[in-house]
Amino acid sequence: MKARIDRTVLLAVLALLIVAPWLLQSMELEFWLDILAEVLIWSLFAASVNILFGYAGLLSFGQALFFGMGMFGVAIGIAKLGLGFWPALGLGMAVAVGTAAVAGALAVRLTWHYFAIITVVFSLIFYFIALSAKPLTGGDDGTSFSMPAMLEVGDFELSLTDQTVQYFFILSVVGAAYFLKFLIVKSPYGMALMAVRENDTRASLIGLNVYFLRWTAFVIAGGFAGLAGCLFALFGRYASATYMFYHVSGEGVVWTIIGGAGTLFGPVVGTALLIVVREELSNMWEHYPILVGLVVILTVIFAPKGLMGFWNALLDRLTQPPADRAAGGEPHEPREEAAAVQVRGKDRP
Amino acid sequence: MTRKIEKSNPNRQRLRSELPRRSFLQTALAGGAVASTAYLSLTRDLVAKESGPIVIGHQCELTGGFSSWGYWHDKCAKAAATLINEGGGIAGRKLEVPVVDTESNPAAGARKLRSLIQRSRARFVVGSVHSGIMLASIPIATELKTPYFSAGEATEATGSRGSRYSFRTGTDTYALAAAGAPWAFKNLGKNWTMIFPDYAWGHSHHQEHRKLIESMGGKVNDPIAVPLGTKDLVPYLAKIPEETEVLFSVFFGALSVAFYTQSKAMKLDEKMKMYSVSGTIEAIHPKAINGAAEGVFFLENFPRPLEYKDDEHHKKFIEMMNIDPVHAKENGSDRVMAKSHAWQSYENFFVLKKAIEASGWQRKKDTPGAIEALEGLEMENSLAHPQGAKLLRGEDHSGMIDCYMSQVVNDKFVVKRRIPRAEMEALLPPRYDFRKQKL
Repeated sequence: MKARIDRTVLLAVLALLIVAPWLLQSMELEFWLDILAEVLIWSLFAASVNILFGYAGLLSFGQALFFGMGMFGVAIGIAKLGLGFWPALGLGMAVAVGTAAVAGALAVRLTWHYFAIITVVFSLIFYFIALSAKPLTGGDDGTSFSMPAMLEVGDFELSLTDQTVQYFFILSVVGAAYFLKFLIVKSPYGMALMAVRENDTRASLIGLNVYFLRWTAFVIAGGFAGLAGCLFALFGRYASATYMFYHVSGEGVVWTIIGGAGTLFGPVVGTALLIVVREELSNMWEHYPILVGLVVILTVIFAPKGLMGFWNALLDRLTQPPADRAAGGEPHEPREEAAAVQVRGKDRP
Repeated sequence: MTRKIEKSNPNRQRLRSELPRRSFLQTALAGGAVASTAYLSLTRDLVAKESGPIVIGHQCELTGGFSSWGYWHDKCAKAAATLINEGGGIAGRKLEVPVVDTESNPAAGARKLRSLIQRSRARFVVGSVHSGIMLASIPIATELKTPYFSAGEATEATGSRGSRYSFRTGTDTYALAAAGAPWAFKNLGKNWTMIFPDYAWGHSHHQEHRKLIESMGGKVNDPIAVPLGTKDLVPYLAKIPEETEVLFSVFFGALSVAFYTQSKAMKLDEKMKMYSVSGTIEAIHPKAINGAAEGVFFLENFPRPLEYKDDEHHKKFIEMMNIDPVHAKENGSDRVMAKSHAWQSYENFFVLKKAIEASGWQRKKDTPGAIEALEGLEMENSLAHPQGAKLLRGEDHSGMIDCYMSQVVNDKFVVKRRIPRAEMEALLPPRYDFRKQKL
């Protein structure tokens, strides 16, 4: 029953996302199509935080570094190297993943606050380098560019300058990335990652290579953040070092926590909620981040598993037979946590 | 049940037989009224689309690091809108000016530009004074085919990253060098050292000034780029070569205050002439930094005291801004007007008014005509253009304006020389011709 409700809601959301361009344009609300595209991009960024924090148990404040690398890879590729759309996208991804591979090799040797601190330091180092390297990055002015065509056949040209094409391109890429994330977390690798998250000592005792698992998770998360950065550069026709600053990483953490860390669609929910709040409030009240802070505090206190965790608990309550509830039956355990439960042992109440 | 009652009640039956007639009349009348109203509403809407308000958006730094400037840009825009509407609007249509706050952040600024154009339906945009924001905004404005006026100094806005849709009535680093460097070279010294924070604005000034100083036979020592986040400038000030005659500095905000204070403490002003651009002391009263800027030369776009451009238009502008005519300080507050930049957020509305009226602009599809009218637009010294007469050059969409070389004397900006726009233009050949781009 719960699975059916989840599937129905997911299908309804997907259907809405697909018809959104026509729906919004018919209501002369095409501005919201760009906001929707932005939500999708930032939710991909939040997904990268979620992979590390929600599934690997590593709280990173450095995801903005890979986001920025993706951005600059695309922008420099187009504006300075004269690359076309796809090679620039490839360059952005290569730079982001390469940086994540190197940074991760050092960072995942540490855990908890040491890990969080080293990710901030990495982010700051590259932020200042990007600000100072004016000939390459444009310094504090950033790098803007004109959008090259995505596909050109004769007179036919497909370009992101068309709002609908841009939206569907972003939706497809983000959708594919989320599907990839789904496959990862459901795979034995994902289970192993969650086992490490719950108890790395026990995980290593059952033969899991904790360092390798954390490093690969770091690189995958870096790839997700980099892909979000590439998309954002293409969306804004611009790259700036300000996106590499650690407060951008902090936003990703906030979106993930509010949406629900360790859940597949939590980052989308958290990002959508806070971006819409920002969009509606930022022009009316300059101190709107106070409200965001309040939402975070309330979420952490009253819905520690985020909005998706709250939704899951609600559905469990509504769909579980009363007899089971009276007998104190364990709520439905998401499959992605099953492997971890086995390793958690006594840590589980 | 109703039918049963009706059958059993003759009055009801009568009533029933009468109702259709009455109902018909009522319905007909109501229908007619609704149809007429709907027709009138539709017609009004159609007419409204043709003759409703003209929306010119204002992208402004109301909060964040540039808010001390943004306050004045906002005030200028509002004053211009009021004046235009009091005078009958633009081509007989009311002017509406939605404002968005960029938060002094390129990401927020670019996002809100989209909001201005797509949500508030702004057909023209008077844009940001923050270089990063305006450079992030130009590609978006270009793509959305909306003329965009930058107010910042990054030369790229009307250069390598400019477009047919990008304009600027004020000066950029290229123009500031052309206006100020020859006078400073002749009167202040021939051996220059430049010190600036290690980011784009300072580097850009350095490049433009270096070219000119060297072409005039002067010597430019190695630049001193201060790392970002530095608070103690003494180690960097100590690197300034002894033979320096002119110290050209480009700092902003708190770092600018630190520079003037620390260089004064090291008595650098006694060893060399100190020269800078107005952006480094914009919205700051020299008195507020305890005389640290005393004796420093600044290149301005608009003199702070009325006496150096003493005409009716300037006087009226000062009254509208509610500032004192000597220090440009707001009456009743401690705010000092960011006068050398904020005038653009006032005048640009009048520039657009002139282009819209000259081209017969009615709706968005008429924008190419308005752009052609803007290219090469001449403006006379007037209440609409209190900064002075100017030209919006056709080729690079850049404003050609008079500048002023001032020195801080007893906490007051004293103009040493007005630099007529013709002098600046002679050293400022257009590097780009945007008219070649298709509209």
